[in-house]
Amino acid sequence: MDFSSPSPGMSPGMGGGQSPEALMEQVQAQLAQAYAEELIETLRGKCFDKCITKPGSSLSSGESSCISRCVDRYMEATGIISRSLFTQKR
Amino acid sequence: MHEEQQRVMMNEAVAKLTSVCWDKCVTSVPGSKFSSSEYSCLTHCAKRYADMSMIIIKSTQSKK
Repeated sequence: MDFSSPSPGMSPGMGGGQSPEALMEQVQAQLAQAYAEELIETLRGKCFDKCITKPGSSLSSGESSCISRCVDRYMEATGIISRSLFTQKR
Repeated sequence: MHEEQQRVMMNEAVAKLTSVCWDKCVTSVPGSKFSSSEYSCLTHCAKRYADMSMIIIKSTQSKK
């Protein structure tokens, strides 16, 4: 048995001395980062669509408040979708 | 790691469905809260999408 080679699933340079818990934390942190970036990109697209119908020479206060509401509503929608997918109603 | 993969899949499903359902249900400028029709649309959207998905899978299978 060769204990010196990395276990399957670990890429070289990941540090053979890292505990599974530390590795999992690293994975989760990277995932959280990726989700945050994806969410922000989605918000950019949706809210630009809904709130900035004709780009002007600056952002109006109406456009600013629309963007703020847009973010709030989208986060709320995420919760609604999440709950409807993961609660069983009998 | 398997649990983590499941969590990833679930989060991706929610993200994708929220995007689709937002486009379908939130047709006007976002307000300070959802109208009752927007809210109703959103609560039904995910389940209807899942129903549709089942139909599609079944009908593509029967056409083999």
